[in-house]
Amino acid sequence: MRTKIIITLAGLLLTGCATETANIDVVHDDGKAVMALDYRDFAQAASEMIQSMISSGALKKPGGGRYVMTTARVTNDTMQRIDTDQLMAKIEEELMNSGQVVMTSAVGGKGAPDEMIYDMRDIRDSATGDEFKQETLAGKKTLIAPELSIAGKIFQRNIRYDNNRQQVEYYFQLRITDLTTGLRFWQKESIIGKRGSNKSVTW
Amino acid sequence: MKTITNILLLVLAFTFTACDQQPAKIHVREGIRSDDLASNIVTRPVAHAFSALIGEGIEIDKAILMNNDSGFLELNINGHNRSYNTKRFRYRIEWLDANGLMVQTKTSTWLPASATGKSSFSLKAVAPRVEAVNFRMDTRKWE
Repeated sequence: MRTKIIITLAGLLLTGCATETANIDVVHDDGKAVMALDYRDFAQAASEMIQSMISSGALKKPGGGRYVMTTARVTNDTMQRIDTDQLMAKIEEELMNSGQVVMTSAVGGKGAPDEMIYDMRDIRDSATGDEFKQETLAGKKTLIAPELSIAGKIFQRNIRYDNNRQQVEYYFQLRITDLTTGLRFWQKESIIGKRGSNKSVTW
Repeated sequence: MKTITNILLLVLAFTFTACDQQPAKIHVREGIRSDDLASNIVTRPVAHAFSALIGEGIEIDKAILMNNDSGFLELNINGHNRSYNTKRFRYRIEWLDANGLMVQTKTSTWLPASATGKSSFSLKAVAPRVEAVNFRMDTRKWE
């Protein structure tokens, strides 16, 4: 009997000590900083990059209109498994909404962002294409080549601060290049630094 | 005689202090510049404690809105830190259109800023949409 009571109490205690799950208020997150890159860091870096691009005037097309831009290779050179789209998706969205740029899904640093563009052309050129109304299929020489490309990298440096703490520096570097002339129109580096316990991992 | 001597010494002290004027654009901080009657090893802790007691902090002096060459709204904010300590904070700028409605943008996020004690600071933001014609700004403590 006593054993049963002890086991029941132990079970209740363990349940009571379990950490509750809660949603993060991403708009007003008062949570502590972490040593790794989190969504707040990507939001900060993206915001700085976008504001720099827009204020530089580099995206103002002479004669009016919008530049066609592609996202080329953005390298992750950190110790973390991050998808660089966490940064680039925000930047692409804001650039398109600014009215100065239109992004292309036909070419990109990781291949075409939308493979369906080429899948439909394969269908057009195959026997399956005969099943479709020909005027609804994309013709040849209709894709528009990009004029600008945005590329860069994210890398980190780990530095021993003292016996108990480490310092981690994250560097976000982006550049915009004119694909016709090879000239660089814009470039920026954004740094996010963190200082914390040596026991924290950054991967 | 003693009183006159003391008064003369005080006047001399104030004169030398007044002569040692720094150009307005150069800020030489206490602890680096020469001490004077107002700021020395005795009066500094008192001034710092009083400043902390009355809770001095950041003040915004001016917010300037203008359109850049591309037609986007640019906001420049000048402020100063009345405290003796560096103040770290986060700020967020939300852009408003002609109807006073918020323009949804990823740039409206909490960004870090800091101001050294007893010094000026500047912030700059650019609206990412041409329909932004106004702004509102919020601040919060650095976590």
